Amino acid sequence: MSEYIVEMKHITKRFPGIVANDDVTLQIKKGEIFALLGENGAGKSTLMSMLFGMYEPDEGEIYIRGKKERISSPSYASKLNIGMVHQHFKLVSNYTIAENIIMGMEPKKKALGLFPYVDLKSANKEIAQLSKKYGLEVDPEKVIEDINVSTQQRVEILKMLYREAEILIFDEPTAVLTPQEIEFLLDIIKGLRKNGKTIILITHKLEEIKQVADRCAILNRGRLIDVLDVASTSTKQMANLMVGREVSFETEKSAPQFKEKILEVENLSVRNSDNFEVVKNVSFSIRGGEIFAIAGVSGNGQVEIADAIAGLLKASSGSIKLNGKEITHYSIRKRTMEGISYIPEDRQSYGLVMDFTLEDNLALKNYYKEPFCHRGILRQAEFTRYAEKLIADYDVRSGQGNKTMVRSMSGGNQQKAIIAREIELSSPLMIFVQPTRGLDIGAIENIHRQIIGERDKGRAILLISLELDEIMNCADTIGVIYNGELKKIAPASELTTNEVGEFMMGVKG
Amino acid sequence: MKKLIVKLLGNEKRQSMTIPIFAILVSLVAGAVVLGLLGKNPLSAYMNLLQGSGLWPKASYAGGKNMLTDFTSFLNALTPMLFASLAVAVALKGGLFNIGISGQMLCAGFVTTVVIGYSGLSSGIAKPLVLLLGIVTGALVGGLVGWLKFKFNINEVVSTIMINYIAQYVISFCINTFYVNPVSRQSNPVSKAARLTLMETQVGDLKMDIPLGIILAVIAAFIIRFLFNKTKLGYEIKTVGSSITAARYAGISVGRNMVLTMVISGALAGLAGVTYYLGYFGSIQPKVLPSTGFDAIAVSLLGNSNPIGIIFSSFLITIISKGSTYMSSAAGVEAEIASVITGLILLFSACSAYIAYKVKRAKSSLEEEKILQEKEKTNDRADSGKGAE
Amino acid sequence: MDNIIIDGLSFALPLFIMAIGGIYSEKSGITNLALEGLQGFGAFTGALVAVLTASWFSGGSQIPFYLAILFAVLGGALYSLLHALLCIKFKANQVISGVVINILATALTAFLTKQINSAVFGSPSDKFVLGVSNRITVPGLSQIPVLGAVFTNIYPFEIIIVVVAFIAWYVLYKTRFGLHLRACGDNPHAVDAAGIDVSRVRFIAVMVSGALSGIAGISFAYSISANFSGNIYVGYGYLSIAALIFGNWTILPTLGACLLFGFAKSGGYEIVKMLKMPSSYSDLVMILPYVLTLLLLIFFSKHNKSPRALGEIYDKGKR
Repeated sequence: MSEYIVEMKHITKRFPGIVANDDVTLQIKKGEIFALLGENGAGKSTLMSMLFGMYEPDEGEIYIRGKKERISSPSYASKLNIGMVHQHFKLVSNYTIAENIIMGMEPKKKALGLFPYVDLKSANKEIAQLSKKYGLEVDPEKVIEDINVSTQQRVEILKMLYREAEILIFDEPTAVLTPQEIEFLLDIIKGLRKNGKTIILITHKLEEIKQVADRCAILNRGRLIDVLDVASTSTKQMANLMVGREVSFETEKSAPQFKEKILEVENLSVRNSDNFEVVKNVSFSIRGGEIFAIAGVSGNGQVEIADAIAGLLKASSGSIKLNGKEITHYSIRKRTMEGISYIPEDRQSYGLVMDFTLEDNLALKNYYKEPFCHRGILRQAEFTRYAEKLIADYDVRSGQGNKTMVRSMSGGNQQKAIIAREIELSSPLMIFVQPTRGLDIGAIENIHRQIIGERDKGRAILLISLELDEIMNCADTIGVIYNGELKKIAPASELTTNEVGEFMMGVKG
Repeated sequence: MKKLIVKLLGNEKRQSMTIPIFAILVSLVAGAVVLGLLGKNPLSAYMNLLQGSGLWPKASYAGGKNMLTDFTSFLNALTPMLFASLAVAVALKGGLFNIGISGQMLCAGFVTTVVIGYSGLSSGIAKPLVLLLGIVTGALVGGLVGWLKFKFNINEVVSTIMINYIAQYVISFCINTFYVNPVSRQSNPVSKAARLTLMETQVGDLKMDIPLGIILAVIAAFIIRFLFNKTKLGYEIKTVGSSITAARYAGISVGRNMVLTMVISGALAGLAGVTYYLGYFGSIQPKVLPSTGFDAIAVSLLGNSNPIGIIFSSFLITIISKGSTYMSSAAGVEAEIASVITGLILLFSACSAYIAYKVKRAKSSLEEEKILQEKEKTNDRADSGKGAE
Repeated sequence: MDNIIIDGLSFALPLFIMAIGGIYSEKSGITNLALEGLQGFGAFTGALVAVLTASWFSGGSQIPFYLAILFAVLGGALYSLLHALLCIKFKANQVISGVVINILATALTAFLTKQINSAVFGSPSDKFVLGVSNRITVPGLSQIPVLGAVFTNIYPFEIIIVVVAFIAWYVLYKTRFGLHLRACGDNPHAVDAAGIDVSRVRFIAVMVSGALSGIAGISFAYSISANFSGNIYVGYGYLSIAALIFGNWTILPTLGACLLFGFAKSGGYEIVKMLKMPSSYSDLVMILPYVLTLLLLIFFSKHNKSPRALGEIYDKGKR
């Protein structure tokens, strides 16, 4: 028998228009933590999706425990004791933790010896035991909607363990966690290795690899670049291999020059559609030339603050002032005209009309103004001219230029289009929510440079991000949100990453 | 086979034309198979459809009738269909599915019949008033649906259906109680002055029905096209129709546009109603919803909700529905086969996105094959080159 | 009073079983506006079998009635396959598919009814005459004041519906299949990752809705109209959709909504009868369930939560 538990040989996978994996060969030893490193779009997730049976490779072979296997479905993968925690959790929101874990492998009983039913009682008991064994504490009877992200992740891990998985794949598991939660997760992963499990860790974060992984494979544009021994390689080396060129970790930034207050938020409270108070009595202000960043774990009310300022959500109390003018009760359109640009979190359902052309999307915020519109009649030629200018200035790439359907554009270029449109409004206040999510390093650097550039023009910037690195890189002032409250506001220079993390978890403050 | 389909349907710019035509052809073939199974000659049956619509000469005509008179009465039936289909299309563009066209037609037809059809006003006043009141009634009913959707989040499919039945029963009650003609068991016929079609008009030695509304309907199609291509309102309606969230984000008033969309759609349905009841028919049959309102959905889907496309598709569907009566008597087939064929066309049109997707897939796989083949060729050449060295 | 309960139940229960079908389909994530067409097509196949086999049995025999129910179930399920194919395989817009299925059902059953009548029975009638099924009164229980009416003059289909509804409830909430089905409507990706075939679950769910709608259709045909004809399409399918929306996609509250519709309708008729109004006034009573639907929707639509993945086309590749 081979010493490798997983062998993927000469794997190639194509999607319409791109080669996601090109002749990749990997060998993974039993009981090791094997990291897969690469930028977004490097093909890490695709490669592992094939190991998990979500796709089948176009070419190449997969061997599990020395035996050639055709992994045609996730259920077959789980028969081979392969489990995966996906980046976007696959949980049924209105089911309990136990129901989610047992789904597909439910313990059965028969009522009156005849009518089969799902035996939830014994499932609850079994899961309680399992969670104790691996130190993953959860209450099996809680409903997914009511638990936080890191608990949801534990549920995903328990799901694998319930299926007696031996090979555990983690797809970007730390993306949504605070530094403290990351520490905790990495400890769990080490504990799993101690229990004899084989772990594959997909990530683009070098520190994590350095901390836990034994070996690391680097992918770039679908190709395997190298497999390295982590202990004998520096993070700098790994980073350069991953990107394929020299990278600078820090974005260059001059000292801020603060001007007058542009945005003032006072005692703002916001309720969501379930009438639940998600933003509680929040106050802060942003000056011209300042990047004010809100750090926080996903779902703590930060997006709602942005929505309330932009007018998408109503403030239940408190006031919002722009350039000294009360705008709390203005319509969305009126606020835009007063001077707010907004790069929303969800670019596909908010930022863009996916079935419109690029030029129609680029005019989404000013189609009603001269020269685009005259007495209710649109001038398409103006749309085209404007779009051509923005496409050139912001390097937006698409198949058929300004007439391209936005749906067919790549995520990075969709985001570029939104940023182009919003920056071009030259608003005194610009709100960026998760501006770099899902983009590759080159694009991220570029967007950070643009944000800082706008700051240097004297605009007030509100940056909301789940990536702590991004916040530490860009912010002049940091506000940390926890459970709808701003727990701490301080100049970025006075806070360390760990301190911010503690406020994010509500430990401090 | 793959290559042929890609060649015929592959051009993405022309797919809005080619795929509906494909859907029609497949449905007609399916209909032909059914006709064949019934022992009828499908070709002659389809020919009967054309003859019944005045697009092909019949063997013989009654006195005062010829192909032209058949054609004008075909246009008479086409007019409400065109209006109704435009109504569906406007709503679809705005992201709403108005299947209450029939009810809106009935309301507009009934109100105008009662208020103007029985009034004794002179022709010059009555006809414009009929149009105006039809528009207003339809717009009000449509607007109500839009308002219910925006204000209370009521699915417009359910609310329009409910309004259909309410209108049907209430109007049936009113007709049977106040306006019934004991002989025909329909409502009393409207005055000639209020009628939008000049019935049995002597032109030369022909007696024809001249539908005045058809010109309006064609103009309406071009106005709707202008609305969606060139105006701010059209841009806003389309934005709301494509993505409510993005529309809100852009500062567009979603509620206002939803109501406006349904007001326009309802107004067009109202025009369909008056051209149907005060043009084509002249009276109202109680307890019956006009099938035009439902056929219009087929027409609109087939025409890709494009006003000009709809002119063509309504032409086609009206041939099938109007011609079926003649086909039934000439070929001895149940007239209901016409609505079955219309239903099949609908069915295939509903799959048009899938067909387009499949064609795209086939196209890219063909292209990949081509690239691979060319690669192999160059490799071969390189190999043979090496051999020669 | 008795009549209100008796007639109300015989209208509400078919609505209820159809609404359960709708719940199955929508809980699995497939919007189902096709119920109207499904019940009509089911009633058509059931009625067809009943009239074709009627001559095999003696005049008073109830066997054709039970055969009709069986074939209504099969016919409804078979026809619903079309909706399933369109929505799941061909990724059509589910609302449009539903409406298309309804329009096609009306056309197809009208055409086939005429064609079959003239081919088999020699007259191109547009209906299959069925008569009203016989009714059962439970001795003893029916003597209870007021509530006794529940056990008086019961149509056999009412008993069948109650039994089937109970089974449907058990399957949906207690069994593995039910667990999978409800999960499909919330997060199909989770179901897929658990190794369960989402398309298969949804196909079955839609076919269940077809089968249950078939029961409803043939029940209407054997009670209200006493025949099968185009009159089967009077929007009861849509009423049951409204009922399941009020019921928040759960079975028991949906029963409440159906009973409300049933009693509103039968109550209205009783009032017309009591006040000795002319028969045309029954047209006004007919609108009661529809008006009630609109009013209830005004109060319930905003607060109710539809299944999260309802109406979304499930694409495996999309994450």
